[in-house]
Amino acid sequence: MKDEAPHNGPLETPQAADATAQTAPPPAAPRPLWPHLVAVPGGVAVAVLAALALPIPLAVILAMFMASLTAWSAAALFARIRASETERCSLDAQLVQSQKLAAIGEMSAGIAHEINNPMAIIAQESDWMTHLMSQPEVSPENLAELKDSLAEIVRQVDRCKTITHNLLNFSRKMEPILQEEHLERIMEDMVLLVEKEARLKGVTILRDYDAELPAIRTDVPLLRQVILNLLINAFQAIPGAGTITVSTRPTGPSQVAIAVADTGAGISPENMSKIFNPFFTTKPPGVGTGLGLSMCHGIVDRLGGTITAESAPGQGATFTVTLPR
Amino acid sequence: MSIRILVVDDEPDFIETMVKRFTFRKMPVTAASSGIAALKILETETFDVVIMDVRMPGKDGIETLKEIKKRHPLTEVIMLTGHASVESGMRGMSLGAYDYVLKPVDFDELLEKVRKAHERKRLNEGRSAT
Repeated sequence: MKDEAPHNGPLETPQAADATAQTAPPPAAPRPLWPHLVAVPGGVAVAVLAALALPIPLAVILAMFMASLTAWSAAALFARIRASETERCSLDAQLVQSQKLAAIGEMSAGIAHEINNPMAIIAQESDWMTHLMSQPEVSPENLAELKDSLAEIVRQVDRCKTITHNLLNFSRKMEPILQEEHLERIMEDMVLLVEKEARLKGVTILRDYDAELPAIRTDVPLLRQVILNLLINAFQAIPGAGTITVSTRPTGPSQVAIAVADTGAGISPENMSKIFNPFFTTKPPGVGTGLGLSMCHGIVDRLGGTITAESAPGQGATFTVTLPR
Repeated sequence: MSIRILVVDDEPDFIETMVKRFTFRKMPVTAASSGIAALKILETETFDVVIMDVRMPGKDGIETLKEIKKRHPLTEVIMLTGHASVESGMRGMSLGAYDYVLKPVDFDELLEKVRKAHERKRLNEGRSAT
């Protein structure tokens, strides 16, 4: 990234940090950093030294000029950061989109499989019926067979109906049902559930609830699932004795936050970007499925909130769920 | 509006206390002593909220919850447990329980949970009607 700087654009001496530096950004996509890292600071240094020797009016003019030059430099860098952020956001969006597509693909395969089986039977039975009907006359045995086949077709159509019905139920269940409830009340049952087991291991749970926090509108059982998941993760991240801190806070006029912090092993920087991926786990096989956090992410998303993790290795981890009120 | 409650537990003492307390509040309550009995009752009668113990001989609370949610998805279930097993708590919550509460539970608190669970059922019904 930085090493292309010397090759790009004409080199200039610090003293020449005047108009030419401003007018000549190279047309290539990765613009060089040296005007900001070398030219401007160098120019400032030279100007300061020069100002010592120059008469005051000239020194003032020089100072003003260098000030505007550094302002330009800062603005240019800022624009670059903004551009790269925009780019990153669109990459993130693409990633989410491709994950969604993968999930849809998986689900469609499952549905297709479920529907194809009854369809195959229906096709087979109707073939047989066509064959029977093409006979010059319909004998009583054939009539019984026809009835049989028809009954089978009805049964298979019912089977398909059940599948689609279940799918509709599933998608309706996905819609959260919003109820007014205090965060503390939502959390406390789950905390109590984990606390008993935690105490046996020497893990203490500290409560830091904001008593002033008004009730929020959310899907209560869904949020309970998220909290229980985070608590279990925190509990499992602590190897021996330790502490889990649960807290609630207002984070603005229309938002609240829940945090679950542990004193466990923490999350390494290379794992940090993967923790919300489905099937990602650092637990030994059989202990974790790797679905807990991705499920939490999915639920929080549906509740209109965000979930984030923070960790310094060896210092434990903190998961924060921000929700609309 | 009265809430139709079904209490499921294999401990007769617990059931007795529950029935007494809900009846005192003029809330209609039915009792079942096992998961299978509960499912049988649910076939013929509709309930708003089921309060069920997790550990029961025969069909346990989690299995029963699974069946209830499959056959009567709108009925809300509050799970009660004497032993805090986070594993079964996770299973219970992901199977669609409204809450998973450690025994002993304060009756007024339970009553509040029942009200909230009922409110959720009504909201859910209002949605499927449209």
